[in-house]
Amino acid sequence: MNFLDSIWLIPLFPLVGAAVMLLFGRRLANSVIRILCPGTIFVSFIFSVGAVMQLAGSEHKVHEVIKYLWMPPLHADWGFLLDPLSSVMILVVTGIGFLIHVYATGYMAHEGGFYRFFGYLNLFVFFMLTLVLANNYLLLFVGWEGVGLCSYLLIGFYYHKKSAGDAGKKAFIVNRIGDAAFIVGMLLIFSIAGSLRFTEVNEFIEAHHFAAETAAWGILSTTALMLFIGATGKSAQFPLYVWLPDAMEGPTPVSALIHAATMVTAGVYMVCRSHVLFELTPMTLQIVATIGGFTAIFAASIGLVQNDIKRVLAYSTVSQLGYMFLAAGVGAYWVAVFHLFTHAFFKALLFLGAGSVIHGMNGEQDMRHMGGLKKYMPVTHWTMFIATLAISGIPGLAGFFSKDEILAQVYGSAHGSKALYVVGLTTALMTSFYMWRLMYMTFYGTARSHVHAHESPLSMTGPLMVLAAGSALVGWLSVPKFFPIGAHTFEHWLEHVFGSEKGGAEIPEVLLTSLSVAAALLGIWIASRIYLKVWEGPLYKAMLNKWYVDEIYDFLFVNGLAKGGGEVLGAFDRNVINGGVDGAGWLARMVSSVSIWWDTWIVDGAVRATSFTVKLSGYPVRLLQTGHVQSYALVFIVGVLAMFGFYVLR
Amino acid sequence: MLDAVFFYTFALMTLTGAVLTITRKSAVHSAIWLIVSLLGVAGLYLLQQAEFLFAVQIVLYIGGIMVLFLFVIMLVNLDEAAKQRQFNNQRWIALGCAVIVGAEILYVLAKGTASLSLPAPAAAPAAGGNTEQIAVSLFRDYLLPFEAASLLLLAAIVGSVIMAKRRA
Amino acid sequence: MPLANFIPTADDYLRYLPEIILTVVGVVIMFLEAVGGERRKPALGWLAGAGLLAAIWGSVVALGVGGTGFQNMVIVDGFATFFRILVLVIGLLTIVSSTQYLDREKANAGEFHALLLFSIAGQCVMASANELIMVFIGLEISSIASYILAGYLRDDRRNNESALKYFLLGSFATAFLLYGVAWVYGLTGSTNLAEVRRVLMTPESAPNLVLMGTAAALMFVGFAFKVSAAPFQVWAPDVYQGAPAPVSAFMSTGPKAAAFAVFLRVFITAFGPIATRWEPFVWGSAIATMIVGNFAALTQTNIKRLLAYSSIAHAGYVLVAVTAHSEIGTAAAMFYLAAYAFMQIGAFAVVTWFSRQGEKFVNVDDLAGLGERQPMVAAMLTIFLLSLIGVPLTGGFFGKFYIFRAALDSNLVWLTVIGLLNSAVAAYYYLRLIVVMYMKEPGAATENIGPVSAGLRVAILGSALATLVLGIFPSLVLDFAGRSAALVK
Repeated sequence: MNFLDSIWLIPLFPLVGAAVMLLFGRRLANSVIRILCPGTIFVSFIFSVGAVMQLAGSEHKVHEVIKYLWMPPLHADWGFLLDPLSSVMILVVTGIGFLIHVYATGYMAHEGGFYRFFGYLNLFVFFMLTLVLANNYLLLFVGWEGVGLCSYLLIGFYYHKKSAGDAGKKAFIVNRIGDAAFIVGMLLIFSIAGSLRFTEVNEFIEAHHFAAETAAWGILSTTALMLFIGATGKSAQFPLYVWLPDAMEGPTPVSALIHAATMVTAGVYMVCRSHVLFELTPMTLQIVATIGGFTAIFAASIGLVQNDIKRVLAYSTVSQLGYMFLAAGVGAYWVAVFHLFTHAFFKALLFLGAGSVIHGMNGEQDMRHMGGLKKYMPVTHWTMFIATLAISGIPGLAGFFSKDEILAQVYGSAHGSKALYVVGLTTALMTSFYMWRLMYMTFYGTARSHVHAHESPLSMTGPLMVLAAGSALVGWLSVPKFFPIGAHTFEHWLEHVFGSEKGGAEIPEVLLTSLSVAAALLGIWIASRIYLKVWEGPLYKAMLNKWYVDEIYDFLFVNGLAKGGGEVLGAFDRNVINGGVDGAGWLARMVSSVSIWWDTWIVDGAVRATSFTVKLSGYPVRLLQTGHVQSYALVFIVGVLAMFGFYVLR
Repeated sequence: MLDAVFFYTFALMTLTGAVLTITRKSAVHSAIWLIVSLLGVAGLYLLQQAEFLFAVQIVLYIGGIMVLFLFVIMLVNLDEAAKQRQFNNQRWIALGCAVIVGAEILYVLAKGTASLSLPAPAAAPAAGGNTEQIAVSLFRDYLLPFEAASLLLLAAIVGSVIMAKRRA
Repeated sequence: MPLANFIPTADDYLRYLPEIILTVVGVVIMFLEAVGGERRKPALGWLAGAGLLAAIWGSVVALGVGGTGFQNMVIVDGFATFFRILVLVIGLLTIVSSTQYLDREKANAGEFHALLLFSIAGQCVMASANELIMVFIGLEISSIASYILAGYLRDDRRNNESALKYFLLGSFATAFLLYGVAWVYGLTGSTNLAEVRRVLMTPESAPNLVLMGTAAALMFVGFAFKVSAAPFQVWAPDVYQGAPAPVSAFMSTGPKAAAFAVFLRVFITAFGPIATRWEPFVWGSAIATMIVGNFAALTQTNIKRLLAYSSIAHAGYVLVAVTAHSEIGTAAAMFYLAAYAFMQIGAFAVVTWFSRQGEKFVNVDDLAGLGERQPMVAAMLTIFLLSLIGVPLTGGFFGKFYIFRAALDSNLVWLTVIGLLNSAVAAYYYLRLIVVMYMKEPGAATENIGPVSAGLRVAILGSALATLVLGIFPSLVLDFAGRSAALVK
């Protein structure tokens, strides 16, 4: 079977599923829905795998299928493009999408509106696949708005919750601001290249040898910036990130699918898709990298002190997306996509794990009321343990490879800088801290509530295990250059799109890797000092007393040092190290509260100021709309006066 | 010279009549001043050698329409309406605006008159006046607007009947 | 002079066929109203609908002969035909969506349909006018009929207020238009659009540009009133709120589309050569219109009033296309007006059904829980609202997209940016309706709500279908608009 020519069918299967659900779903039994909806995604997954395998065997590694000349003057068709970049995306969307669908059959089992939920979910997958398979900006935008709409519907799914409705609305409106910029960017691209098709735009830009706009800000820079502003809306970058944490009001599978693995990465995808344009605009790239880096550290610092398990993950997602933009901003597009790929696994797993915890705790989301869940929910605990190791960047797991590569590129690339590297490294430290804080508060220590937690059903734990395997293994697709074993498949695969890496400065890769691993370990250690000590968990004793302190003492005693020296060191441990840990904790809280202060006062303040302005702007209108015909006529006359005055004065 | 005297006389009649129409309190007085204003316009037509229009203006507007006006005014008790609260407390602002707009128009006119390229005056009509020319204009060149205007009037009549009809 | 000179040719009549059909059917309806009994009343609506269908056929026939007719009074080209058919379709949708309303308010009568046909005839005259006199007469036919329709339920105080305001302010604005026509005649010696253009193009005979610009400004006042462009939009919220809901739907689409047709034709054909003179105030008005419409809509609680402000805002977007004064700008305006007509009528049709007798339920909060009680209608209203927001795969998106593309092509960068930001603001108030429909518990207004009548069902489904078709296959209409836009000059 020729899967390559059938790529246009990939988005259609979920669409059929959505149509059936929304039209006839009410009459279908839940058991049918449970098979049908994940089934459509699975068929798409099979087709995607087939198409990608055939693409790998093809010569040019790019395949375009145009089904219908939609708008000939714009060169925007109902056409689909499969190349290494979109192939990564469709595999993520269908593969992880399928797992999350399966999980949702268990998670949503007790909710009303089962069919409606799956209808929207399938519709979302349809739009997401349209977005990543589109061969032109306009069709991409169709998918772009479609996923936004579905996300709005799904966030507001619990429509008896007022906060859910508000969160959906906020998401939609913040995204509209980004979309406005995206439309401008799209129009500018059309006026530059006379086409909206990716291949033609890229060819045009390459063929006309536009000089890179290094010195002066030009039209290409503006275009790229507009596209990037569009991306900040969808991918929740500063300052348009505000909707994502609120979007956690939606059901957890939605958070996993839309707000972690797929939709929010659309902005990264779009920037990478337009890499030919971005390459020519170093100043815009600088902005992309700066915003990305800033968002990464900023969101991570807020994540340090959140107590809602889903909000920690939400800020973590914003932060990781910042990492991806940081990579794209320094010109390392394939690394951005690589991190997108690995992140999809471990972040989806973390969300689903969190969902499993919430499910097991009967809806409790506050981590202060959890603790000691390890023995009640072993599968959830171990899978999340793997994901947390992965996101912290522990060698051998997926997150390590991609994050390490990003940091190396930021350090070594021509567009990168040492300052951004420090930002990235600090973020890595914070990440591992807040993730382990989450783990300790949730699974370790003693239980702090009377809810009788229980492990989730197989439909939920199954996907967790598959994702855990993924989080552990997919990183090996592209390992650092000095690694003796492992493959470079991912890098080579994307070279067909982004071109091979240009020889930058020599990177001391071993050193950088050691530094990032050290940062990860430091984060874990601080978290364990703070959170395991407070609750005197078993791991606290095991890990701290035995691994570090005891060994140091043994070492000292074995070497025959004086007892006094040991006491000095003991005092050092009590005062300096503890003080340092406390200090670090204090610093973290400080930074975090500054960020939160910004979030509540400046951002919310801006929102409030906007609504105030809106109310204020109503007054002049109300002043004019008196309802008296005479005043209306007066307004007319004043208008005429102004128009004539314009002529008189000119 | 004489033309100019007549022109300014008629123009003054038209404007004075118009101003007094909208400033008089009594509806009957207003209507009568309107007649004066329309007479002035009729005079202007005559000056332009448009005898037919002059006659039509007198017969239709002053003879027909204005008499109907006066009938209506006298049948309906308008004095009662005059006593009701009027929402014209912004009249001075409105007047100011209107004056400024007028000044602006005058200024623009003054600035542009020099380069004004008005079409040449029509040739003097043959004996028997310009009635025939009007007929050609109205029934050949402007036949369609002429007929379409009947639809306009029909719509207006239907409308006024609907507005006046008492519904059961 | 021989009599034959006075008799128009057969082709002339064919070019004027839609207007003739509408007038004749309108008069026949009034006769039947007088002689027929109470039982025949529903038939009059059918007759009016048939008349409109016949007029659509007539427009196609007229396009077949094409060209100017009646001594250059009318011009039948693709542009005219596009707008003729558009207003006729608007008329059809108005008729099907008003039957239930008229029965409910016990006001079913022939005059309603007759006046509607007259109004549409006036709009057809506007669409095909090639002469300022025809523009004026068409505008007045359309307006006078719609003044009456706005106050059709004459025992309803809101209707009275609406009609009176519309009438007084409309006459006031028309006076400016007529004064502008007089100036144009004085300056160029002609009221024929092509002739005015020719005079303006010839350097030796071209009149003073300051005067000509002022004349254009005077005419702009008249048109701006009809399309509800700032600062001449103040009447629209009061009038649309007070008028019967189906009439508001009609008034905010039909006369508006026709007014934009003459606006485009006069300003691009006749005043095309002095575009630099009128571009600044159309530009300013476009910005003011978008801002006033969108920001005032944010605080509205009455759905009809909200839709009125939204209609102002949409006029602002079309003005952006007018400011571009290019062929793609014209095509974009044509497409947008068509897309806008369907979504606006569709939304008003839902309001017509929902408001119940005496228009009791017209508040945003009354919609609470509609998604649960009447999922189908709620879904349709959602489509209209999404299109008004401008979400892809609806007509509204492509309308906006083409308008901003045209603006950017004409280097109107700020206008584009302000327009797009405005459309982001607009999402807020439309979304509020969707939130209320789907995310609030049903209230008193959605309890015991009756079924949608057959006529309204046709109107709602038809509009939704058209909105989606324009969004998914925009080329169908856009190609025709693009070809017709070239003929304007």
